[in-house]
Amino acid sequence: MATHAPTHSDPSGHAHHVDPRPLSYWWKRATLWSAGSFLFSFGLIWFMRTIFGMDPLWVSQVYVTAAASLTSIGFLIGIGCFDWWWQWMTGRRVDGEDHSMHGAHSWRDYFKVNTDHKVIGVQYMAIVFTFFVLAGLLAEAVRAELFTAGQTLGDGETYNGLFSVHATVMIFLFVIPAFAGLANYILPIMIGAKDMAFPRLNALSVWMLIPGGLMMILSPVFGAFSAGWTAYVPLANQGGTGTTLFEVGVQVVGASSIATAINFLVTIFTMRAPGMTVWRMPLLVWANATTSALVVFGTPFIAGSQFMTLFDRVIGTQFFDPAGGGDVIAYQHIFWFYSHPAVYIMMLPGFGIISEIIATFSRKPIFGYRALAFSTVAIAVLGFGVWAHHMFVSGMAAWLRVPMMITTIIIAIPTGVKIFSWLGTMWGGKIHLKTPMLYAMGFIGVFVIGGLSGVMLAVIPVDIQVTDTYFVVAHIHYVFVGGSVFTIFAGVHYWFPKMTGKMYNETLGMISFWIIFIGFNATFMPMHWLGIQGMPRRVSAYDERFEAVNQFIGIASIVMTLGFLVFFYNMITSWRSGPKAPWNPWRGRTLEWLVSSPPSLFNFEATPQVVGGPYQYGIPGARHAVVFAPEEIGGELTETEKRTIVVVADETVASAALIDEVRHRASEGLWRFTFAVANEDGDSRAADRRLQVALSVLAESGIDASGTVVEGDPFAAVAAVSAEEDVHEVMLATYPTGMSAWMADDMVDRLRKSTGLGVTRVVVRPEDARAPLSLPGVSQVAVVADEGLGTAGLVAALRERADRRPIGVILLSPMNLTGPGWTDEAEEARSAAFDRVRAAIDGLQAVGVQSRGEVLDGDAAAAATIAVTGHRADEILVIAARGGRLESDEALAAVRAAAGTVPVERIVVDAEAPASPSGS
Amino acid sequence: MATVEPTISAPSQATPPPSRGSQISMGMLSMMFFIGSEVMLFGSLFAAYFFVRFNVADQWPPLNSAGEPFELPKIITGVNTAILVASSFTIHWGEHRLKHYGDRKGLERGLLVTMFLGGTFLLIQVNEYIHLGFTPQDQAFGSTFYTLTGFHGLHVFVGLTLLTLCYIRVKRAHDFTPQWSTPLQASSLYWHFVDVVWVLLYILVYLV
Repeated sequence: MATHAPTHSDPSGHAHHVDPRPLSYWWKRATLWSAGSFLFSFGLIWFMRTIFGMDPLWVSQVYVTAAASLTSIGFLIGIGCFDWWWQWMTGRRVDGEDHSMHGAHSWRDYFKVNTDHKVIGVQYMAIVFTFFVLAGLLAEAVRAELFTAGQTLGDGETYNGLFSVHATVMIFLFVIPAFAGLANYILPIMIGAKDMAFPRLNALSVWMLIPGGLMMILSPVFGAFSAGWTAYVPLANQGGTGTTLFEVGVQVVGASSIATAINFLVTIFTMRAPGMTVWRMPLLVWANATTSALVVFGTPFIAGSQFMTLFDRVIGTQFFDPAGGGDVIAYQHIFWFYSHPAVYIMMLPGFGIISEIIATFSRKPIFGYRALAFSTVAIAVLGFGVWAHHMFVSGMAAWLRVPMMITTIIIAIPTGVKIFSWLGTMWGGKIHLKTPMLYAMGFIGVFVIGGLSGVMLAVIPVDIQVTDTYFVVAHIHYVFVGGSVFTIFAGVHYWFPKMTGKMYNETLGMISFWIIFIGFNATFMPMHWLGIQGMPRRVSAYDERFEAVNQFIGIASIVMTLGFLVFFYNMITSWRSGPKAPWNPWRGRTLEWLVSSPPSLFNFEATPQVVGGPYQYGIPGARHAVVFAPEEIGGELTETEKRTIVVVADETVASAALIDEVRHRASEGLWRFTFAVANEDGDSRAADRRLQVALSVLAESGIDASGTVVEGDPFAAVAAVSAEEDVHEVMLATYPTGMSAWMADDMVDRLRKSTGLGVTRVVVRPEDARAPLSLPGVSQVAVVADEGLGTAGLVAALRERADRRPIGVILLSPMNLTGPGWTDEAEEARSAAFDRVRAAIDGLQAVGVQSRGEVLDGDAAAAATIAVTGHRADEILVIAARGGRLESDEALAAVRAAAGTVPVERIVVDAEAPASPSGS
Repeated sequence: MATVEPTISAPSQATPPPSRGSQISMGMLSMMFFIGSEVMLFGSLFAAYFFVRFNVADQWPPLNSAGEPFELPKIITGVNTAILVASSFTIHWGEHRLKHYGDRKGLERGLLVTMFLGGTFLLIQVNEYIHLGFTPQDQAFGSTFYTLTGFHGLHVFVGLTLLTLCYIRVKRAHDFTPQWSTPLQASSLYWHFVDVVWVLLYILVYLV
């Protein structure tokens, strides 16, 4: 498959207008509207209180509530969420196909309202990971306070604020919207849709997170919100102004959640591609449909509970005040009626992600597809019937306890069905331990622990013993960090290539996983013990006998944080400068892997056709979907089970002969190619550069190929690939017999005997292997050089370029002959130039850069003309020896003039001693 | 017979056509889910009401600070209920005129009458608030009463806003045809929902 996104032709025939207003316009407008509505809210309340004669005129909570709500709305209006609707509702003519705010053309488009679900998905991820970092810092502050038994950081109220805000931000602004963000990007593509059902509503949802999130994260500044994320009354209403901000913030974020959920439900119900019956939906779609239903029907309960506490707090109602006939327990019932299903809102999408990843990386059809789908629904339905297990010691009606215990334990059954289905999928599969799979397997392990401690907590006597102890803290973190966060990280790694078009660094990914996994268990495992020993949660000063364990936990939490730092480093650097991602790096079957990375503006050229289940790995010929694409990139695209040919080569890997043979075989349509470059004694980086050239050329031709460099002989190369996948044939590229060390050892026969596979030999002439490929996928770099040719500086400069993208090099050595070309001087100069060219070719060959050279009579400008017209160079590099004739600016200007639009760069090197390149 | 008005065709879908299985429009489906969500919001408020009434209170209605039971104006609110229920029929009549006769004038009249009835309902409700003699701060009884009726009033207001928008679209943009009137249908569905909630609320809070 090609690695470039196909140019999009809008099928509906509408030109794609781009909104001309700059970024600053939107943000100025947002600032003005926010400030305006802030002032307006104060004026409004003041006015109302005056005309109704309320006394006193200043009640801070009332003003804060009004300011927080109206400023949020003002911000959303100002940033432009309502512009289109405003046109509609004032009766003006609107264009339903108005795509002016759709799609990203530069980074700026990510910082304003955008209706493209892919842009919104990225916006979601950026916002939620920002909040993740902030909430993570709060967690570290909590651990800092607990490092010693006494009171250290501020007072108890500060500490309460720390853990309360940590929890609310993690729950409402990381876990829930992170799943929404991932699904926003992936789900419409997965079901073959061009976007979500309501793109403008989708944009509104993501922008609502900003005011809602700011309210929550800033609440400590205004007097800590300190009742824990559950915000139990009456404690919550005794706290500072931060509590008001929390109560309003929950409404805003909750509204965002509900809007997204309705959007998902309608998208899933009405926009599936033809052929995608419910039993052909990927499990992520099942999970999101179920979760969205939970959000739609559950979230209003927390909205209701927070409205009532807000009224109790702000206008003095008496819902939860026993003195006025209110019921304190009622708050807990109403709160948990949402908030228990909310834990499934935070878990089910993760289950969906894990199902995708486990099947893809086990290369097996998922075990028990229907059982997995039904168990998702079962968990959601049962989830509404278990809320009171949070309240065993609250003094609620005693008869409710046992039924709630039983329903809670029953939930373990569908959860167990899932766990065993995943294990069944992995059993006997060919497991690829890439980072997403590591996170998925780590998730299964820790989630089983968290789930089992959940069953323990469901048992009434145990719960009474450990209520409000660290056992509960350990449980919730095992299911939320081990469960939700691990699945989010698994998903982020899995879809990173699709979302960014770049590959993340696998080694760093694995390192981050292991640090996080070990740090996580070291942090939270001892808390089980602390809880059983009776250490209460939510206290800042504790019994000294727990100090040593808490210090261990504190250090372990720093280890976990280091793992997160590695993760962020990996994500940021890979996004900026990682290698380009192919369409389908994991050989997934679902639709998102059949479009480019990142996908084109409307994802598909034409509506795709779904023809089978999504997880038919390992079944030859099985297909999930067919995507219709322009003829030039292959017409119909589908992902079927292909057989692997291992291509074993050394320096021969990037030769025209081998590429031709691979193309020829690929046209049979049955094969995919795994290159294994056997590197016996050379530089493995050089081997990798050649490999990247070959892979890039094949990717441009739409051929499914991947590859690695293997240290060792061809046997080791074949063995390395066989460990990962089923190999059906070996293709061996060697130099001609007599010139090849491998052929001297009868390599073909020996390989055939040792592997039991058919071996095809491709003969590559040495000059072919060294020559640059002039094919799409390789950018041609023309080097115009004088005495600088053959220096270490030239090699270093080109090596550095080759690390960025596959290149082929044409070395042009202009001699600047002014007189006749047959004189002795000219002949001498010519032979010196030939020597330099040969030295340069050898030097480049050693670092794995293919090149060829020419010596020209003319000057540098003439060389540049030849480079552009004769060699179609994509870039010209002028290598000037210090003090040589090319160092002058006139020479450079002449080259620039001759090069036309082709970029020219000059590097000055030291001709005498090996020099490092210096800037031009 | 209806006058002929200039029509604009339904906006073409920006998104691919729905798959074979779904006969329902996206707009209606989303409104149904949204109403489901609203049902749960009222559910949470009713839950608080039931807790207060059945779990805590010794008698219902409880005694106020003067030692007498709280009183609610059942008769006048009954009339008000009738007004709101009537408005459900008028909006339906308007929709019917459009759908079966292509009568946009009839739709306009239906919308206007509905908005008038809805506005009357709100005014009577506000008048009731002024003359009730107790406040949201007067025990949990006052809190639940004002919150339930207040939230409902807010929903009536939202419904009125939606109907006003539909009216603007009909008047100014000459929107809605017998074939396509999703925003109108969705608004009218919402209006019916608001009515049903009120009937329940009247029975549970005022009568029983």
